[in-house]
Amino acid sequence: MFVLAFLARRLVQGLVIVFLVSLLIFTLLRVVPGDPVRLMAGGMAPEALIEQIATSMGLRDPILVQFGRYMGNVVQGDLGQSFVRPANGAATGGSSFNDATRGERAKVADLIFETLPMTLQLAAVTLVIALVFSTIIGVAGGLAPGRWPDKVAFYVSSIFISLPNFWLGIVLALLFSVHLGWLPAIGYNGFAYTILPAIVLAVELSPVLIRTLVSSVSSQMGQSYVSVGKVRGLGHARIVANHALRNASVPLLNLLGVQFSSLLGGVIIVEFIFDYPGLGLLTINAVLQRDFPLIQGIAIVTSAIFVVINIVVDLVATTIDPRLEY
Amino acid sequence: MSVVSSTPLAAAAELKLLARSIPRRVFDRASGTLGFRIGVSLFLILALAAIFYPEISGIDPTKMDIRARLLPPVFLGPNWSWAHPLGTDQIGRDMLVRSLVGLRYSFLIGVASVAVTLAIGCALGTVAGYYGGRTDTVIMRITDAQLSIPMIILAISVLGVSRPTIPAIILVLGLSNWPVYARIMRSVVMTERRSEYVRAAQVGGSTDLRIILMLLVPLLLPPILFTSVLDVARMMIFESILGFLGLGVQPPTPTFGNIIADGRKYLLNAWWIATMPGVFLGLTLTSINLVGASLERARNSIHGGEA
Amino acid sequence: MTAAVISPTLPVLDVRGLTVGVRQQAGFRPILHDISFTLMPREIVGIVGASGAGKTVLSKAVVNWLEAPLAIDGGEVRFEGADILGLAAGDMRRLRRRVAYVGANPMGALDPTLPVGRQIVEKLMAVVPGSSRRESERRAIELLEAVRIPSAKSRFHDYPSQFSGGMMQRALIVDALITNPALLVADNVTQPLDVTVGAQVIRLMKELARDFDTAVLFVSSSLPVAREAASRILVMGEGRIVEEQATEALIANPRHAYTVNLVEQTPKIWSGGAATQPQATQSLETGSDREVVISLRDVSQIYRVKKRDSFAGVNEVRAVRDVTFDIRRGDSFGIVGESGCGKSTLMRLLSRLELPESGELLCHGGDIGKLRGKGLLDFRKRLQLVLQDPFGSLPPRTAVGRMLEEPLRAHGWRDRKVIRERVLKVMGDVGLAPELYEELPLGLSAGQRQRINVARALVLDPEILIMDETLSALDQTEQFKLLDLFQKLQREYDLTYIFISHDLAMVRKVCNRVAVMYLGAVVELAENERLFFDPGHPYTKALLSAMPVLETRRYQPEDCLLDGEPPSPIDLPTGCCFKTRCPLAFDKCDTISPSLMARGNRNFAACHLVTSQAAPPNSQSGGQPGPRETEYQSA
Repeated sequence: MFVLAFLARRLVQGLVIVFLVSLLIFTLLRVVPGDPVRLMAGGMAPEALIEQIATSMGLRDPILVQFGRYMGNVVQGDLGQSFVRPANGAATGGSSFNDATRGERAKVADLIFETLPMTLQLAAVTLVIALVFSTIIGVAGGLAPGRWPDKVAFYVSSIFISLPNFWLGIVLALLFSVHLGWLPAIGYNGFAYTILPAIVLAVELSPVLIRTLVSSVSSQMGQSYVSVGKVRGLGHARIVANHALRNASVPLLNLLGVQFSSLLGGVIIVEFIFDYPGLGLLTINAVLQRDFPLIQGIAIVTSAIFVVINIVVDLVATTIDPRLEY
Repeated sequence: MSVVSSTPLAAAAELKLLARSIPRRVFDRASGTLGFRIGVSLFLILALAAIFYPEISGIDPTKMDIRARLLPPVFLGPNWSWAHPLGTDQIGRDMLVRSLVGLRYSFLIGVASVAVTLAIGCALGTVAGYYGGRTDTVIMRITDAQLSIPMIILAISVLGVSRPTIPAIILVLGLSNWPVYARIMRSVVMTERRSEYVRAAQVGGSTDLRIILMLLVPLLLPPILFTSVLDVARMMIFESILGFLGLGVQPPTPTFGNIIADGRKYLLNAWWIATMPGVFLGLTLTSINLVGASLERARNSIHGGEA
Repeated sequence: MTAAVISPTLPVLDVRGLTVGVRQQAGFRPILHDISFTLMPREIVGIVGASGAGKTVLSKAVVNWLEAPLAIDGGEVRFEGADILGLAAGDMRRLRRRVAYVGANPMGALDPTLPVGRQIVEKLMAVVPGSSRRESERRAIELLEAVRIPSAKSRFHDYPSQFSGGMMQRALIVDALITNPALLVADNVTQPLDVTVGAQVIRLMKELARDFDTAVLFVSSSLPVAREAASRILVMGEGRIVEEQATEALIANPRHAYTVNLVEQTPKIWSGGAATQPQATQSLETGSDREVVISLRDVSQIYRVKKRDSFAGVNEVRAVRDVTFDIRRGDSFGIVGESGCGKSTLMRLLSRLELPESGELLCHGGDIGKLRGKGLLDFRKRLQLVLQDPFGSLPPRTAVGRMLEEPLRAHGWRDRKVIRERVLKVMGDVGLAPELYEELPLGLSAGQRQRINVARALVLDPEILIMDETLSALDQTEQFKLLDLFQKLQREYDLTYIFISHDLAMVRKVCNRVAVMYLGAVVELAENERLFFDPGHPYTKALLSAMPVLETRRYQPEDCLLDGEPPSPIDLPTGCCFKTRCPLAFDKCDTISPSLMARGNRNFAACHLVTSQAAPPNSQSGGQPGPRETEYQSA
């Protein structure tokens, strides 16, 4: 029963968040200088044509009116249509805009849900690599504070966090793909194409995981239940495995929830570098093409995913540690 | 019990007291570690180079030299020359000077945007934590919303549609990271607000503003400044990402991002154009991260766990 | 059982020449010197000493549980004849079945994320290989019932955070005794607990130890507490055992100077008589004609906390319920009760850090809830607060003088010279050296720090000082000194004191009038003598009977001591809120909540058993508003 109550409350809060995100990104895109219609119609299009297009698309109404109309559609599941992309085929350049193709522009929702699975696959592989790697390094470091495993964890995380993802992507592609020919790098044509991008993302994600694990494991080992466990007659391995790690996993979980959006930020860049056809590549292209409906749609969908992930994280964390109230 | 043993409480409080003079103790402890020393030395070398080398060498980072194009770094290929230790790019510009000038921009933008972040985040966090209730709820919801979109989407959206000037870049980077500080500040202020010395000040008649400015901020800000060292590095990465996407400081001004983006086109025949600036950036970030992480570890160990 | 095989004449524990210390690079610094003693089967021996005497180190060494940098430098700890200090980790772990330990921090002893019962079973199965899970669970529940944990079956599945400190300590005693050990080391087990709960825990521990034939080493910083438990007492001072005697002999005839001092410093409640009574209190005993400075009228405070299992529901915590009393000029008014009784909430209401949910707090007849701006500032000048924690209550990294100037500046003082003079005068009054003016409070003792706290309150020249557990962090000697200071200041500054405390002995010594609180309500309000010699409420009697003292008790635990713990303030019982623990409860208590009833002139108790036969003639003739007994009726 209280799980339902918790879900209901968190979903309401989540809707508020998604609404705020929509409002923020919508306003931002309209307040900053730069006219998307000019871009769509091409630099040579006459002023009158631009005004005509803009008016017919409702872009000259007050922002709040536009926002109301937009949210009305969003509630019905309609994220609008892309400014520039046709319903079939690749993106068209801004200059090729003409009236005849307007009716066939792609639905934002379709574009997003075509690319989302690719990104989810990338994210899943990333998580597996990052978690396995970080757990080994981080737990070892946390169990031996001040000794060499701890130092390894410290230097590994300090160096990994200092590698810019786009540069690392380029270097790894050069090394493993161009020179060694071990892994494919550009585009997508099978699962192997996910591995290099996932490694780059895992390198980006690991440092925070390692640091959190080191500090939470070592602080759990300093808790009195650990030393009291010894005098109660529990073995060291049992105390670590059954109790300390269990407690230390809660901060890690919470971190994963919060880190989601920065992971996604990395996804955007990495997909761009590797030309990996996921949500990130779609985002970059949308921004570079000033495709407002698409940017908005992506922001709404990602914030919704963020909300869902954090609800799941909290549910799991509460099952582990009942003190965290729903 | 009527005969209260004073030691456990006194000992716990003594620890708390030691934690109170944090900045000095943290700094002392951190500066004894190897990581911190490596970081500081590396940073000083890079900083001195960035400050002096471009002017001393007299090389203009934007000057083309067709005869000296695509020279490799020293020892790393045919035709290298000591005149261009890190080689040259496709139009013969000196890679070392370009990287060092890029470092200047990157670092300054990083520091400035962290300052913006700190100011906004700490102000909102303090207000939310001190007053609580509805103010808190509103601020925290905005914080959640901001946290739920990747800052990079926000930054590239804004900079993609407007013109990326340096102040705009600083503002966008600064605005996209404040929620982290708002959350930290809120939680520490919430704890301190209930502490006895704040209560004593309230009963003594001090106003809220006086308590915040005279008692809380001087106490709570320094540990957060330690955290923000790490964020300078993060911001520098974001600055270079923006430059890489063409949304950072515009050419011909060299930045890590735009040099690497340029070099990507020549990856197969002139690998150093894309990779060398990255090594520089990576070294700078490593130096900052080593310092920042040492400070944070020192702070955590003095606090006895997570702060 | 193996215990039966051992001959009863052989000691369970035989410590010989034990020396323990801290081993660091600088060398070895001993903490315990050459400790030797024995413990026979089924015997309970107390170890008593001031804090810092090395008691905890000794109790850890005895169970072979020292952690670096603590190290053993010599001697033996023989358990059932064999030295255990050299045992390998695995062998020692198996021996934990026979050697059990309970410490002073019940709340941190178990993993907070797993149910209590499950962890007890885990321990049992770990140290007694081959025990079945079902059998272990049955036994755990059985023992939880034996230590009177209500509905033990469902409590078995509760998490540590859902247990109160007292319940947790009882569960840990179960955890220690479930393997039927021959030796239990109980290190300050009652220290974090309220007196009535602590007394229960000792009683249960003695019962179980007897049932299980377990010998107990009972370590405590309080001689009266150890007296409750032990038949023989070892006194420790600075790492050495200075005296050893049978309990009653030790108290009647302490030999070592250290022990003499320990016995003398233990507060006396009944046998001290008028000598311990401050002069001022005596003369004020009957003065009901003094001006009323603070007056509470049906003050209630409710906190709303989110309900755990619902969408938008809130629970109402009734922290303070319909409190009414008057405090007169020159009073030393005591508010006593155990943790959770609402005294801290009352402190926040009195000092206007919070506004009450309902009712009025009047200061010189004006409602302090309505004060704003200048009026509020004036009130702040009149009433000041001295807090509990000598460390947390001083702003860090601020010079002492600066700290004491702050209230003056907040009240609009500007002239630096005048401010400085005023601060120096007050520092002198509370016994702080003027050199401290520019110093940081680093390194000052708890007592010195509390003087700074008092000075900060006094610097505004207030009429009323609230002392919120001000002395509870200090040791006996410091307490005596500060109490003297308080009396001196009361004369010099014409102060009215409100002491908020859990310590009845302190209240007995300094307060002329006392309110006893239970679950947010005042259950008894009386003059000092009457409260301690003829309490009207069964809860007051229980408190007095649970007080650890060395003198002959007026109220015996067997007659008065309570079972269980206070109910949750969220879910108050109907009728009398004390009925769930009251040994005298009868059917009327189930339905009707008793009002405060007069017992003579100025004494009141909220109990149906108080016969208000003697309608107090003086209470009307006094002409003062006084407590309006008819309105005490709680909702």
